[in-house]
Amino acid sequence: MKDYFNLQLVMTKRKVKEAGLNPLLSCLLGLILFVAFSEYIFHRTEFAKYLVILVCFSFQFKLSENRRTDFLLSIFGDKAKNKIRVLENLIICIPFVSILLFKNLFLEAVILFTCSITIALFSFRTSLNLTIPTPFSKNPFEFSTGFRKTFFIFPLAYALTTIAINVDNFNLGIFSMLLISLTTLSYYSKPEEEYYVWIYADTTKSFLKKKIINATKNYIMLTIPILIGLLIFYPIKFDLILLFLLFGILFLWTIVLAKYSAFPDEIHLSVGFIIAFILLFPPLILVVIPYFYTKSINKLKFIFNDKN
Amino acid sequence: MIKIKGLCKSYNSNEVLKEINMEFSRGKVSGIVGENGAGKTTLFKCVAGLESYTGEVFSDVQPLKNHLGLLLTDPFFFSKITGKEYIRLLCNARNKKNINIDQKNIFDLPLNQYASTYSTGMKKKLAITAILLQENEYFILDEPFNGVDIQSNIVLTEIILKLKELDKIIIVSSHIFSTLSDTCDEIHLLRKGEQIKSVQKEDFKTLEQEMKEITIGNRIEKLELK
Repeated sequence: MKDYFNLQLVMTKRKVKEAGLNPLLSCLLGLILFVAFSEYIFHRTEFAKYLVILVCFSFQFKLSENRRTDFLLSIFGDKAKNKIRVLENLIICIPFVSILLFKNLFLEAVILFTCSITIALFSFRTSLNLTIPTPFSKNPFEFSTGFRKTFFIFPLAYALTTIAINVDNFNLGIFSMLLISLTTLSYYSKPEEEYYVWIYADTTKSFLKKKIINATKNYIMLTIPILIGLLIFYPIKFDLILLFLLFGILFLWTIVLAKYSAFPDEIHLSVGFIIAFILLFPPLILVVIPYFYTKSINKLKFIFNDKN
Repeated sequence: MIKIKGLCKSYNSNEVLKEINMEFSRGKVSGIVGENGAGKTTLFKCVAGLESYTGEVFSDVQPLKNHLGLLLTDPFFFSKITGKEYIRLLCNARNKKNINIDQKNIFDLPLNQYASTYSTGMKKKLAITAILLQENEYFILDEPFNGVDIQSNIVLTEIILKLKELDKIIIVSSHIFSTLSDTCDEIHLLRKGEQIKSVQKEDFKTLEQEMKEITIGNRIEKLELK
């Protein structure tokens, strides 16, 4: 059992190093971010305690996935498997329980602690094999697979827009638009296998053009219900609505190009900082897009056999 | 025609392909055999342009990669992509639109299910169907018979022979010698990255015998089975 946890530690360190980070430093940074973010949400909303519990559960549910627990069972046997799972869940719940205790939410902390142990003794199927229909089937893959992984976000975003209009909260409407934007950005966060770039009978430029056009078209398709709603009920703020739409599109281009600028590797952390910096200073996007475009061309040249 | 001239491939100081010279003609099926790690897959990736190399690869239709159907040994599928979408993705990539995928589903695959839920054999059949619908000029099939049921293997053999009839270039690797002797016109033997010999159809029996002797050697005696 000790070996198992040692191995987990080694694997985690390896992943952190692959992301270009120092394990010790990133642990410290993660802790600071966790505390800061917790403080922020407790400051912003009265539902923070539920959010803390929910996030903790979401991590624990992932560890309770059927295939994973079956694997542990086959290697360690029933008793040791249960011990490992309880320990894993306890390790995960420590920071969340600590935050609740720090906020004097003793009952919630006890509930989270008890549930963490109980959840560890069960296994769940976390993925549905049911084929979820998608409007992007004709032009796979980023949006068709991404849509299926995040399908619950869209009714939520559209419901938020309806609420925003009903309670006359324009900012909430813009938030629902940003929610779609953030969701679609996640579709481009990981690089695909080289084979799925190699298959294109294109030049590097036409490949990137195709990817960008497709992403833009699909993003607009998902945003249109919100866009129409906001434009009808807030016609006076049409310039602001369109500005957010434009920013969403430009940000999507940035992520698409950032992905291919590092291809076939994952987006490096330094690129992540550049992207975060755009959020603080949006006009920077006009410099970053051509930069990532040029880098992508250079990275993809080999795979497309481009001479120039 | 595809011509490989003096192809070498190294990973740092480890030379995995040494001076490979081969020529593949239209209307011919060529087999590549060799033990695990002999360099077959690396050679295929080099020809496809997925790996860098020294030496040259020529083809009569340029660029080669845009006309090549590449079946990898262990095809990768995205987690939430259906069989039909996978085929569509590969066809779209080659600008082949409006294909009646359902009609061309010769292996009777459940195309509306996620490809990740398919068995190993079904995944391979899906990948084969997709590269066939791309209407390629050249085909590289790395272990196409592996994990596929006997019935589908019969269909696959017939497909390879049909492609040959259509004057395509087909390069196949397989660990099952009989599948190669049924389809190939010539076989190239690789060992530890070196091209040992190239054999024509009439000498396949001798090659099989030679391979058997070299591979088995005295290994069975070493086991001292009782």
